Amino acid sequence: MLLCVEVEASVLSPSTALWAGSVEGWEEMLDALDVVSPLIDDVRPGLAFLEMHGIAGDARAWMAQTRTALAPFEQTLRLGAGSNKIVARAAAYVADGSICEPGSECELLALLPLTLLDIEAEVIERLMLLGIERLGDLAALPHGPFVRRFGAAAAGWHELARGIDRRPFVPRSRAVAIEASIFGEGRAVDEAQIFFALRMLLTRVGADLARCGKRAGMLHLALELEDAETCTFDVPLAMPTANERTMFDMLRAKLEGATFESAIVGLRVQARQLEEGGEAQALFGADDFDPQRVAVTIARLEAMLGERITRATTREAHLLEERFAYQQFELPRKVMFDRTEAPHALVPQLRLLEVREIAVELRAREPAMVDGQTVMQCVGPWRIAERSFTISPVTRDEYDVVLEDGTFARIYRQNTHWYMRGVYE
Amino acid sequence: MAALAASQLSENVILSDVILSLSKDEGRREAFLALKAELSGRPSLSPQPVEGTVVTAIPELDRLLAGGFPSGSVATLEGATGRWSVAAGLIAAMTRKGLVAILDDGALYPPSLAEAGVCLERVLIVPVRKALEVARAADILLRSRICRLILMPAIALRDSIWTRLATLAHRNGVLLIVMAARAGAALSAAAELRLHCALERIIMRGTHGLWGSFAGFELCVNLRKHKHLPSGHQTNMRALSS
Repeated sequence: MLLCVEVEASVLSPSTALWAGSVEGWEEMLDALDVVSPLIDDVRPGLAFLEMHGIAGDARAWMAQTRTALAPFEQTLRLGAGSNKIVARAAAYVADGSICEPGSECELLALLPLTLLDIEAEVIERLMLLGIERLGDLAALPHGPFVRRFGAAAAGWHELARGIDRRPFVPRSRAVAIEASIFGEGRAVDEAQIFFALRMLLTRVGADLARCGKRAGMLHLALELEDAETCTFDVPLAMPTANERTMFDMLRAKLEGATFESAIVGLRVQARQLEEGGEAQALFGADDFDPQRVAVTIARLEAMLGERITRATTREAHLLEERFAYQQFELPRKVMFDRTEAPHALVPQLRLLEVREIAVELRAREPAMVDGQTVMQCVGPWRIAERSFTISPVTRDEYDVVLEDGTFARIYRQNTHWYMRGVYE
Repeated sequence: MAALAASQLSENVILSDVILSLSKDEGRREAFLALKAELSGRPSLSPQPVEGTVVTAIPELDRLLAGGFPSGSVATLEGATGRWSVAAGLIAAMTRKGLVAILDDGALYPPSLAEAGVCLERVLIVPVRKALEVARAADILLRSRICRLILMPAIALRDSIWTRLATLAHRNGVLLIVMAARAGAALSAAAELRLHCALERIIMRGTHGLWGSFAGFELCVNLRKHKHLPSGHQTNMRALSS
């Protein structure tokens, strides 16, 4: 027998699987359910199944026990019991506290909506267009033709609609807390003292990670100050690691730009987003870049500059300044580089200057003098009209000009004014 | 008798040594003169390949630099027009193999780089505004060794800072390219390689005015300084837009 525990918020919109609470809050609820059953399948935040086989008592008693365990969280719950996941969940859906006795599964499921199957909205829409609105309608269809029409996945839906659930029960793993802290051993006002303490804590954290065969995807650092304030830093790691040196470099880089109001009296480092296994290594370490080193460098640069390190992407647009965008730098997924050395051709490079107004004299409707310099060659104009149907339309005539001092520039006229946009350097 | 024979023998040996040394000196002098004559005819001296170079994959430039930019050094790309075209070619070649960092003073135009074949997702763009930020960012990047090529704008720095950056570049095998309209004295001293780009002529596509467009330009790239090669060599290159 399985017990379904669903939080009201996720019951209301099962298709979107919304959960109003935080993931940490849900984890705490699951921890509390350990008193009811040692085997808990955490499907998603807001929905879990408890394996009750061999647990003393009956379904009513289990439900009462569950409510007692989750009472401190003050969430509206829906509980249901059934022989498998779909039936238990259907029971919870029909009414809180429902129990589906063996043999009555099809009867229970028949009137329920298709959304209970957790399939894509588009598929549900297609099924509804064909007149299949409830699980009973789906169960009534012949299995073979339905699977031929909708593919292999449809076999599972058809079985679920008939109360047959072959999805495995996956017990959640025990949460491992890896952290180290130091408190009440004096006060630190010098960064060297902090780094020394950090290194000591990270040695412990690194050893614990290695012992558990895990690696951390994020570090959480909490600094307790003498004035009772607490400063926290979440440091994501580009690639999960158990390497003490890497973790230390990242934390140090993060702290480089930080200042505190008073002396530090306590430190706590917690390894979060734990993952299984060791670290991925590049096959040819000398050739491929080391993601950890890149992450540490970016953290140091960002701490020093106070700005994001970015990479550029290009896009289609008429205005020069809208043809690219910057986004946070992420390591390229493809690490193996192209080692061919095909010859290149040079391409003129435009450099965007800060837009400034310039004085232009015209001759035969063409720029003849720019800021007192004779225009040696000129091509254009190319008209750019953007946002014509908005309250701030942009209409420009752009020219490329070569000036007598050899400057090769892009200028434009907007309304009656002339501007320097960039130069080819 | 024996003593006389010994003294004659020793005289003969000394004489032959003197003759030998004279002929050696003459030989050396001749070799020196030949070398001097060869060196004075600089334009005919063909550059010898230099080990540890960063290949640009731009044939004319690689020929001029005897294989490419020396790795682990500071190099300058100077001139009003064309220096970024050369730099973009180098960046394109380097992003095929690894990451490249550009210290951007706000004038970078990524679509032009993409047109030159640069893989933009492998370019770290570091926004820098002040001279101190440029120096510190270059320092961090050089020490990290995550990029084999770093481009930075020319800024006014003390000699000691340029020397430190050059030492870091050398120690970590990173090519640091400084983009300057004209390199100052301190930078010129620290740079192992200086290239100057000058606009030769504009290449037009179509006719004048509305019916024409700039196809690109022809550049004259002049080798002003090189640790292993004589300066003064130059080559002409074309930068053409697609």
